[in-house]
Amino acid sequence: MKRLSDFIGIRPCTLIYLLLISFSLATFLVGKLGFSGLGMSLLVLLLALIKGHLVGSYFMGLGGVRGVWRWPVFIWLFIPGILIGMAFYLSYQ
Amino acid sequence: MKADRSVSEINYPPGDLAIWIFILAELTVFAIFFAAYAFTRLQHVELFNEYQLTLDREAALINTLALITSSYFVVRAVSAIKVDDRRRCVYWLLAALCMGMLFLLVKSWEYVHHYSEGINLSSNIFYMFYLSLTFFHFMHVIMGMVILVAIAVMAARGKYSRQEHTGVESGASYWHMVDLVWLILFPLVYVMR
Repeated sequence: MKRLSDFIGIRPCTLIYLLLISFSLATFLVGKLGFSGLGMSLLVLLLALIKGHLVGSYFMGLGGVRGVWRWPVFIWLFIPGILIGMAFYLSYQ
Repeated sequence: MKADRSVSEINYPPGDLAIWIFILAELTVFAIFFAAYAFTRLQHVELFNEYQLTLDREAALINTLALITSSYFVVRAVSAIKVDDRRRCVYWLLAALCMGMLFLLVKSWEYVHHYSEGINLSSNIFYMFYLSLTFFHFMHVIMGMVILVAIAVMAARGKYSRQEHTGVESGASYWHMVDLVWLILFPLVYVMR
């Protein structure tokens, strides 16, 4: 089965790089355009966690690792992600 | 012997295991810092929202793009050494270092700007977190650049090859960790409100 990067004709790491740049620009625009609120904050946080997962899996190479070493970065993203999300949720209550 | 090597490559992350212990320790400290920021903000929401607007988001975007680009260059450097292309590996590492230098220059410019406005750690709790968190990360960028310089010099001297490039992978992993931390720090401190 062909991967998306094969179909487009660029390296997988280049595709990930372009995704990271796009998500960062989207995050910047949210701030620049003055969007705020719980929903927007959680969306920006979700984008950041996806970016972190892409870096961990594809740039750090953990996506191809089997066993316990596949998960540390994912867990690292998950725990602060939950705590930050919870703190922002509580700030709107 | 060959079978053992392939199994270890699948079960362990790229680079030296010791650097991963170090990376996880660093990530834990940053995670505590991030949670402390978020829960302290809970007590001072208006203050955090007000002073967040004084930060330079354009500068933060440039820094984000610089770190992501440098991480990409490091990925290309690792790919180059895996096919024994030492010269290209060095070039990619030097390009990554240039992006790291851009980050340091932009961040220093921000610090000078804050300093000229009389902002310091004692100004208020938002600036205390902002300055300490970003400066702690700033020091990690410097540390990462020192590691990249060391592996670029070693690569230029022919110390790495397709068979033995653990040092390049270890340095690359540390640099990606620096990038990873900024990817959370940027939205948390500059954007989320």
